[in-house]
Amino acid sequence: MAELVGVWAASHTPVMLNFPQAIPDADRELIFGAFRSLGDELRRADPQTVIVVSDDHVHNFFLNNFPAFCVGAAASYPTPVEHWLKADKRTLQGDGEFGAHLLATALHNGFDPSFSMELTLDHGVLTPLQLAGLAGSVRVVPLLINCVQPPLPTMARALQWGCVVRQAVASYEGCERVAILATGGISHDIATPRMGQVNEAFDREFLRLLAAGDDDALVRYATEHVNEAGNGAEEIRTWLLAHGASAGARFEPIYYKAVSNWYTGIGLGRWPVKARS
Amino acid sequence: MTQRNWRQDMPTADAYWMNKVLYEVHHLASHLERYRADPDAYMNDTPLPAPLKAAIRDNDIGAMYLAGVNPYLLRAHCLGLGIPEPVFLQSLRRVAQAPADGGTHG
Repeated sequence: MAELVGVWAASHTPVMLNFPQAIPDADRELIFGAFRSLGDELRRADPQTVIVVSDDHVHNFFLNNFPAFCVGAAASYPTPVEHWLKADKRTLQGDGEFGAHLLATALHNGFDPSFSMELTLDHGVLTPLQLAGLAGSVRVVPLLINCVQPPLPTMARALQWGCVVRQAVASYEGCERVAILATGGISHDIATPRMGQVNEAFDREFLRLLAAGDDDALVRYATEHVNEAGNGAEEIRTWLLAHGASAGARFEPIYYKAVSNWYTGIGLGRWPVKARS
Repeated sequence: MTQRNWRQDMPTADAYWMNKVLYEVHHLASHLERYRADPDAYMNDTPLPAPLKAAIRDNDIGAMYLAGVNPYLLRAHCLGLGIPEPVFLQSLRRVAQAPADGGTHG
């Protein structure tokens, strides 16, 4: 049976790669340093597979067929799908067997995800992996939540999904160590008149609630206040899923700053699901 | 700040077709080149009213936002066409005071 060896979350934005110089050097160095530190922690946990909880930004999915939750079950994933993203083309190794197990576990527990064996992953998965120094060195299982095109799944459902993911890890016999990396958020607006405004108060309260141990209050806050934090903040569903998978572990922040010139509240953190040596 | 993340709870038929244009331009082989060469010809068979086609052709970001174009497709379109960030942001800022519904283009 596999062990959940670590759970992390980090913001992502293509601007980190496309316009890194848009913010002061000192800020960028701290942020990129926080990503490297997350990567170091994750490597020390030595997972054989990393479940990357993210969203597809209308590349693999379009209005012809838009899943609320999609489990990746491919042996490999080309990336990036965006022709305009300033990132080298590469192929990430997948773990189709764990993907299939996650899919089966979800369906068995009354969850109804779609699945895909031909995702071309976008910046949501690639950017944090690349900045953390993990791209190409870990096997990934993408779990993609619709955070980008209403109607969206509820915040509560994202949290519930975390329990299923945890169960899938615990019941998996194909490897010994699995980690979770959730990416997205926190406060930001994409292509709206308030793009560039970051709701720092929302972010800090959300991060506080992740550490507070009251899941009902967390989900209620996310549901009732996400419209104050921007359409990009809908990606906190990925953080809620990670939180749900962490089974009561209190979130620990690694870094936070409202970075308006990157249009985003940049947060990184971990859930200590395992006693760290 | 407005207090709502989305223009539409479900895309209208017009928003669907605008989204389809932006999606295909950036995801189907050779479509970006065809679009750049002649946007009007590219959209000739698209069942959209003329003002909405003009909003796309003229890179009227604010009008596309008001019409309910998916924000990620709009953002990707800006990055994919190389529209300068200040132009993109200013076009959005200009609609901040616009009425809740109804386009401003044309």
